[in-house]
Amino acid sequence: MATTALHPAARTYRSTLYEWVTTTDHKKIGVMYLINSFIFFFIGGLLALGVRSELAQPGLQFVTDQVYNELFTMHATFMIFLFIIPILAGFGNFIVPLHIGAPDVAFPRINALSLWLLPMAGLLLLLSFFTVQAPAAGWTSYSPLAQDRPLGSVGPGQDLWIVAVVLVGTSSILGAVNFLVTIFKMRAPGMTLFRMPIMVWTVLVTSVLGLLATPVLTSALIMLFIDRNYGGAFFDPRNGGDAILYQNVFWFYSHPAVYIMVLPAMGIISEVLPVFSRKPLFGYKAFVFATAAIGALGFSVWAHHMFTTGAVYLPFFSLMTFLIAVPTGVKMFNWIFTMWRGKLRLSTPLLFALGFLSMFLIGGINGAFSAAVPVDFALHDTYWVVAHLHYVLFGGSVFGVMAGLYYWFPKMTGRMLSEGLGKIQFVLMFIGFNLTFFPMHQLGLAGMPRRIADYSSTAGWNDLNLLATIGGFTIAASMVPLLWNIFVSLRSGKPAGDDPWEANTLEWATTSPPPPYNFDHLPEIRSERPLFDLRHGHAAPAATAVVPQSASTSH
Amino acid sequence: MASSPRTGRSSPALVAVVIGAVLILGVIAMVVLGFDPVRVSQGVASSFFPPQAVTDRGEHIRQLYDLVFGIAVVIFFVVEGLIIWTVVRYRRKPGDDELPPQTHGNAIAEVVWTVVPTLIVAILFVASWLTLNTVDATSAQPQMKVRATAAQFLWSFEYLPNDYDPVTNKDAKPLLSITEPEGPDGGLTLPVGRTIHLYLQSPDVIHAFYVPQFLFKRDVVPGRTNSFEFTLKDEDVGGTFHGQCAELCGEGHNKMHFDVHAMTGADFDTWLQQKIAAANASPSPPPPQPSGGSTPPGQSGPPAAAPLSLVAQNIAYDKTELSAPANTPFQIQFDNQDASIPHNVAIHEGSPTGAELFKGEIFPGPAQKTYDVPPLKAGAYAFVCSVHPNMNGTLTVQ
Repeated sequence: MATTALHPAARTYRSTLYEWVTTTDHKKIGVMYLINSFIFFFIGGLLALGVRSELAQPGLQFVTDQVYNELFTMHATFMIFLFIIPILAGFGNFIVPLHIGAPDVAFPRINALSLWLLPMAGLLLLLSFFTVQAPAAGWTSYSPLAQDRPLGSVGPGQDLWIVAVVLVGTSSILGAVNFLVTIFKMRAPGMTLFRMPIMVWTVLVTSVLGLLATPVLTSALIMLFIDRNYGGAFFDPRNGGDAILYQNVFWFYSHPAVYIMVLPAMGIISEVLPVFSRKPLFGYKAFVFATAAIGALGFSVWAHHMFTTGAVYLPFFSLMTFLIAVPTGVKMFNWIFTMWRGKLRLSTPLLFALGFLSMFLIGGINGAFSAAVPVDFALHDTYWVVAHLHYVLFGGSVFGVMAGLYYWFPKMTGRMLSEGLGKIQFVLMFIGFNLTFFPMHQLGLAGMPRRIADYSSTAGWNDLNLLATIGGFTIAASMVPLLWNIFVSLRSGKPAGDDPWEANTLEWATTSPPPPYNFDHLPEIRSERPLFDLRHGHAAPAATAVVPQSASTSH
Repeated sequence: MASSPRTGRSSPALVAVVIGAVLILGVIAMVVLGFDPVRVSQGVASSFFPPQAVTDRGEHIRQLYDLVFGIAVVIFFVVEGLIIWTVVRYRRKPGDDELPPQTHGNAIAEVVWTVVPTLIVAILFVASWLTLNTVDATSAQPQMKVRATAAQFLWSFEYLPNDYDPVTNKDAKPLLSITEPEGPDGGLTLPVGRTIHLYLQSPDVIHAFYVPQFLFKRDVVPGRTNSFEFTLKDEDVGGTFHGQCAELCGEGHNKMHFDVHAMTGADFDTWLQQKIAAANASPSPPPPQPSGGSTPPGQSGPPAAAPLSLVAQNIAYDKTELSAPANTPFQIQFDNQDASIPHNVAIHEGSPTGAELFKGEIFPGPAQKTYDVPPLKAGAYAFVCSVHPNMNGTLTVQ
């Protein structure tokens, strides 16, 4: 390996642990983002199993009403703020500098700070379980329910929640600045904006969203904190505040956050599909513009979460919400036509990408129902919405995350994951996912509200709830082959080599895992597929002109 | 862009046109045929549809749902089918290492799949806007005004005089108040065929008024009076429609149920007059129906012991322990000081979750009531607020 020569022959006194904890290497930070996110994914998953267990049958079998509210509140909080958002930032961290041929991100120390804020936030959330009352006002923490008063959110648990989410927000803002500067200032020679992989474009748009929207959430939460602790009058009608104002400010962040949670997953899919179809991405520029359009429209649809409040100008938000379907549809057709007339290798990354396509499609379609405002009057806050959001965030983002994990694991570790175990995981997860969330459409139509711990045995919801619970445990079972796969592959997986997938982008032009400075030399970049050009003779191999890592900027 | 070999330039365009045509034809088919295919399929897959609407507005929402559902089904099958077909058709055969044609895109195709979805969403938007205008319309002179109050964790209903107005005359005295949210004598009793304007108010947190068979919900927001109008359909007479709070409001969220009963106009007028007369005749006698019938009302003379007193304030009782004499009826003077928040005192065997022996009438504060409790055997009991199980204490009978 090219890296060995650069390491001192003697062992240093520093342990591996010390090296990882103090590192500013974007790849190690990216991997730690992933590990941290998966830990909270499993915690959030256990909480979800608690929710599903309680709902399997009518009546309260396992938890009290209060604990049930804590379960789904913390499930959503962990999954959104400490799993999906950070894990996609983690993939971005690992892959963006490699994709643009840079040695690291622009601000490596700030990058480390963004990472380490996350476990701190997670610990604060876990600590809240040991207070009088863990947060139980939903991940939205609507005021006045989140105010400190009897039958509201008593005690410091909710305050810990606020501080934790503000820490996650700070991490996002710092990360966004880092990504933007890196993407605009550190691209390798030849890597023009329109030669960047779509993954980088999605991280770029996500960073813009994060930078503009996250401060709004932070201010909302600080105002809520003041309301709770210092007698503020922002959101509590009892003190002259406005309960609807909180929702406006909260969703001004939290709707763009949905795109923060799904755009990078779309980026992953846009990398995986061309490689496993052996074709270029169909309509590269259309993808770029569609991504930008989703980002821009994302700022004008926040109030579609508030159609039933009676305090929203409905036609405007209805129209904007419908319009977002257009760029999303453009992407969907471009993905399909990337595979069209290709030669598909049905490896695990592609299977998860296909899972993304087929499930995210449903998440888009059932979302359109709620864009039709009167239909939303019927469906809002029922299980239909639970189905919708999971088809987007699980069917979309989580399947995208799994595709990315199987795709880049060889680059991160130098070893392949097992295809057999990967396929078992995919089948279990795909079946479990649909068993869990598809019946929720029918439950919602039948009138089952979300966030209820109990329902009447005569409501006719028993069978579908039991089915959803069985599905939930099937999803949990699909995590066993994943963990076993990672464990086995790290010990004795097949060595990956530089480019196991015959891929197109720059990360596959270096070793697996890459050296600390990423590239010994870069191939010539003349399209969005420099490695394809290299393989098929449209570009000269850069090996003739060895570029030291520091020379890439002085070129 | 790098110039890679482009082969089959015409074929994706052709396919794109075909797909666009299918989408367009699908939409046209739905529009031209009305929504008959969907209606026909109701018997088979009724659970893919919301319940039959019992209000005029709900009927419009149902029609819009059918339209959206029809378009959604077409899009689902076309796109999902395209994905599956592509994967099956173009999977790599073993040993085939030849590079497929390197198609970079097609401008016509991009235009088609931008314009067609835009047209579809335009249709959907216009349809939903038109429906919205109908659903949200309010009349200048509704035939009836009713107010629903959602408090943690109980619904109550008030029949308002016609001169009530949430801005200019918000303190108009209600004709009748119903504090029991469910059951044959509780809930919201309404006449069919009359325009009903329902005002919504909350003294504490956000709730939502949701009746699945109305296909409608609206948030009940503290500090704000929301309202909406509807008319129950004639065929609803005799029906009872279940409703439930749909916005997370705390621990008792899943227990906030209520009933809506439909009557003919004539029956309703009689019912309302009788209820008003009954309420006026006995301002606050022993609660009209203190319990489920298991406990006979204390019909013996005045109780020997002095009445116990209990105050509710800030969703808590002022005492955690009470004691009463055994085998003799006694009274509890209950003072609810929480404005608009409903409380009561119920007596349970052993612990707050034990069997209910006595249930005092639930009423919103600030108000006072005296409960007549039947004789109890010596032992330990719990007293608890039926609305807020957190509010409880022990009652020692000796």
